[in-house]
Amino acid sequence: MQDSQPLTISSWPQAILHLDADAFFASCEQAIHPELKGRPVITGKERGIVAAASYEAKARGVQRGMRLFEVKKVCPDVVILPSDYETYSLFSVRMFEILRRFSPDVEEYSIDEAFVDLTGLRRSFHGSYGMIAEKMRKAIATELGITVSAGVSLSKVLAKIGSKHRKPSGLTVIPGREIHLYLEKLPVEKVWGIGPNTAAFLNKHGITTALQFAKRDETFIKKHLSKPYQEIWHELNGRSVYPVVTEEKGSYQSISKAKTFTPPSQDESFVFAQLSKNLENACIKARKYHLAAMRIIVFVRKQDFTSNGVEIKLTRPTAYPVELFGVLRRGFQNLYQPRSLYRQTGVVLSGLVPESGIQYTLFDDTTKIEKMARIYESIDEISRKYGKHTIQHGASLPTKLQAQHEGERGDVPKRKNALFKGENKRQRLGMPLLHIKI
Amino acid sequence: MPSKSNKEDKLRSRVSEIRAFYRKSGRMPSYSEVSDLTGLRSKNAVFKFIGKLVTLKILEKDKKGKLIPLTIANPVRVLGTVEAGFPSPAEEELVDTLSLDDLLIQNREASFLLKVSGDSMSGAGIMPGDMVIVDKGRSAKSGDIVIAQVDGEWTMKYLRKRGESVTLVPANPKYQPIKPKNELKIAGVVTAVVRKYK
Repeated sequence: MQDSQPLTISSWPQAILHLDADAFFASCEQAIHPELKGRPVITGKERGIVAAASYEAKARGVQRGMRLFEVKKVCPDVVILPSDYETYSLFSVRMFEILRRFSPDVEEYSIDEAFVDLTGLRRSFHGSYGMIAEKMRKAIATELGITVSAGVSLSKVLAKIGSKHRKPSGLTVIPGREIHLYLEKLPVEKVWGIGPNTAAFLNKHGITTALQFAKRDETFIKKHLSKPYQEIWHELNGRSVYPVVTEEKGSYQSISKAKTFTPPSQDESFVFAQLSKNLENACIKARKYHLAAMRIIVFVRKQDFTSNGVEIKLTRPTAYPVELFGVLRRGFQNLYQPRSLYRQTGVVLSGLVPESGIQYTLFDDTTKIEKMARIYESIDEISRKYGKHTIQHGASLPTKLQAQHEGERGDVPKRKNALFKGENKRQRLGMPLLHIKI
Repeated sequence: MPSKSNKEDKLRSRVSEIRAFYRKSGRMPSYSEVSDLTGLRSKNAVFKFIGKLVTLKILEKDKKGKLIPLTIANPVRVLGTVEAGFPSPAEEELVDTLSLDDLLIQNREASFLLKVSGDSMSGAGIMPGDMVIVDKGRSAKSGDIVIAQVDGEWTMKYLRKRGESVTLVPANPKYQPIKPKNELKIAGVVTAVVRKYK
């Protein structure tokens, strides 16, 4: 049989690890609330939908995005918690720090996922790549109290297949000689980067498994598929194309700021104020990274979860809300339907360019722009000192009429109310707090 | 408004640009080259900048205004904005100090905060409302103060190991030592207690 032949005979030309925390947000909650270990836990109370579900909850049929009343139906004893992003971020940073003890080449792929280049480390750890991965998993489990799943293989795409292979708390090592064994039964659409459309196309050419895809000759791949898929094909064959990128994210393709508010609202000025605040937030982030946007996307989501959005092209890149309120207002008026209940608004700044390279057109009033730059510089300076939104645009003020999330008191994470002397609403110690009564 | 240290940083980076040029090409840059190196766009700005470097004795000008390297050629420690031959003794002494953070937290990744509510460790100076720092990565030794789960109950006590037997001992005569019947899980070791009065 041709299928039983290895794709490559060299076992470890390089070693890439992919690490994925199991039900990350819910696991963090279980780590700081030890009495919740082994119980079905979900986060996302303040949004009214499941943001993350613990494995115990998943086993009972709870899924991400489910609404809370549905969750209570399938799993009456579920523990529902408000999201505590402050704590999750602290855990995330620590997870990456632990990984960096083993290798300097750590890519922070998302809040709960990392790639690590382990190539050449067997010597210093006196053991196999699998053993190094196991040590990482152990350190994270004892120090942070959360479990992670890991895959080690020759490329990022293969490592990702490995980390998904056994979850939760699994480790899968795929050396070069064994790649074909893991690809044999894997449907091609499960490969990282292959979407439903590409999968359907490949199916038409008789490719249903990842192995069939990997074994196709290069002429076929080059003829029918674009570069990203050719790269995936190389990666599946054990030839690493995607490097582990260790630089911190210095720049962005786009910046998006969206917020859900409960209860939903049909008040026009309130919903617009939410958008205005989204815009201010997005611009603050853009200015922080010295970027300016060429395009802006405005979207609103109704209580029935249908969304509507428009994209607007700007005449000149900017990161100053005051220049954008006009287009924001026009976009909003296109979208807003009176007497509809809205639950979320959002703004995306895209087409980002470095602020320093902005070309002014002949019709721009450069003195005015410079003045505006000075005003926003001062606003940012004041915000750094006294907290975000100390100075706000008037259009955003109606957001203060209603708390972001009204309703039950438990909608605020515990940490925000468990303050130590010297801590305040805005600044707390940068360490996770264990909620144990002793 | 750029702060003072910001200005200093800028000055320092500009000086190092010029130093790098001098090292590379073996001569001092011309005014227009200084302008390229530093990003100062007007001749006047360059002139003022050079003037500042002259007063700082980093370089000097000859009769024609050409630049002559002074300390820029052999850098000595830069302290503040003024270059000096001898580092200040005060600063030297401060090189090897610990911050309160470093003192209280040994293993950053494994340390958690915990607010104390009971008084069973008052004899050890741990009072209700205090904040303790708990290290989850450390293995507990006899004599350590530990956070532990005993038969389903959470507690903070001294860990006492005698051969095979393990006891959790309070530091308050009001409470009795605990001998785990079925299960003892140690969640972490207390490495510090913090109490803030004001």
